Amino acid sequence: MAIEDKVFSGDSLRVGYRFQRHWDNSMAYAFFCAEMGAGLVFVSVLMNSMPGIIIGLIPVVTGKPFFHLAHMGVPARSWRAAIRPDRSWISRGLLGLSAMVGSAVLLLGCLMFGEQIGIASDGFIVLLLKAATLVFAVVTMTYQGFAMSHSSAIAIWNSAILPLASFLYSASTGVALAMLIESEGLTLLARAQLLLLLPLAIMHWMLLHAAWNGSPGARTSAELLLQTLYAKWFWLLVIAIGIVIPAILLWFGGDVVIMRAIIAGAILAGFLAWRILIFKIGVFEPIMSMNPFSPLR
Amino acid sequence: MARLGMVFDLKACIGCNACVIGCKQENSLPDGVFFTKTLSEEYGVYPAANRAYIPTICNHCEDAPCEKVCPSGATYTREDGIVMVDDAKCIGCSTCAVACPYDQRTQMEAKDFAKGLFGTGELTPFEEQGYGRYTPGTVTKCDFCSQRVDAGLDPACVVTCPTNARIFGDLDDPDSAPSKLIRERKGRPPLPEKNTKPKVFYVD
Repeated sequence: MAIEDKVFSGDSLRVGYRFQRHWDNSMAYAFFCAEMGAGLVFVSVLMNSMPGIIIGLIPVVTGKPFFHLAHMGVPARSWRAAIRPDRSWISRGLLGLSAMVGSAVLLLGCLMFGEQIGIASDGFIVLLLKAATLVFAVVTMTYQGFAMSHSSAIAIWNSAILPLASFLYSASTGVALAMLIESEGLTLLARAQLLLLLPLAIMHWMLLHAAWNGSPGARTSAELLLQTLYAKWFWLLVIAIGIVIPAILLWFGGDVVIMRAIIAGAILAGFLAWRILIFKIGVFEPIMSMNPFSPLR
Repeated sequence: MARLGMVFDLKACIGCNACVIGCKQENSLPDGVFFTKTLSEEYGVYPAANRAYIPTICNHCEDAPCEKVCPSGATYTREDGIVMVDDAKCIGCSTCAVACPYDQRTQMEAKDFAKGLFGTGELTPFEEQGYGRYTPGTVTKCDFCSQRVDAGLDPACVVTCPTNARIFGDLDDPDSAPSKLIRERKGRPPLPEKNTKPKVFYVD
């Protein structure tokens, strides 16, 4: 069935595809803040950069909770989101994120004031805190992908590629921001960024190829992204600005400050566009055509 | 213990929406909020054009994805198989709503209650007595009218249906009306490929 023949029933009482409307832009911004911040924390810990860790924590402890609370129906009960780590990725992620913030703050404390209380900056305690921050940063970078891929309701989300997408985008934005903050290791960061943009492009191809050849709901979402409603935004913002232009700029000299700023801005814009679009293309499949005479049956 | 479920007889449903009204009355649902809907589907070309009606409701899945993803423990399954939402525990994150393949969950927003059924901002006595059971911001859905089931009654949509298109009962009892219908008329669950094991079936 061609997409122009598909019924998008919206709020009407017709059988057809329904756009998911439960997770709105607030959730996209919350996911974006967490993944961007955790990515920068991850890269900064690897590079021993205190400014990077501090700047990375800012969106995690401000934007992420702000946009989540703005979305949540009963914000006063938000603490309850952490009580079912045995079955919910939301709970696991919230605990992982809290642990990342805690270990990163302790790490910063040790790095800034450790000498005064006898903790060496290359000692065991600092190494342990670095390892813990890295592990919990990876949890924060990926859990939102797991939360989306965990359920079969929205077919294009129900993919093992989404946690990988979260990690790659998170790492890519982390490296992009680190290139703005750091004054050393820029060549290494630029190479790492180029190496991340390639799997990002491959990830998009894998996700959409699987969706295109998958269930009717996944195919419908892929069509919305590649051909119809959101195609111009996807090709322009996510692919061209988010991946192709940064790759070209990095290839031809990403070591100039203004160039690094443009690269970081482009990667962030592409990532934010992807976060918003992946929510917007989510569709529920028709409950089924139960009619015994229907040609759709 | 019983395993409560429902069967929709598509040949009997005439799309009168009496079930929808019965549900809204029983559950004091504000404007725009539905626990059950009757979808329609048109097919064929004039003069052979036709329309069919497909009732929808929470399917009270045995492997309920909404329950698995709920981070606050608000969604749970009773011993009789009814999937419930504990209003006092729900945080309104809507994770369950995006996890339900049947799009059967609704977040109750404060404005839904405030505007009133007539849109004037004033609540009728009926609304005042009924809205107290809900917390604005929480996510709700059909619970097979659990208050009626506990009292030994059928859900409101079932008793309201004038054509007996909704049949409710214990799916574990081979002699119950829904079990017989499923067996004799090859009852089918909605979206079986989602592997949620719904306890709602359709026969035609």
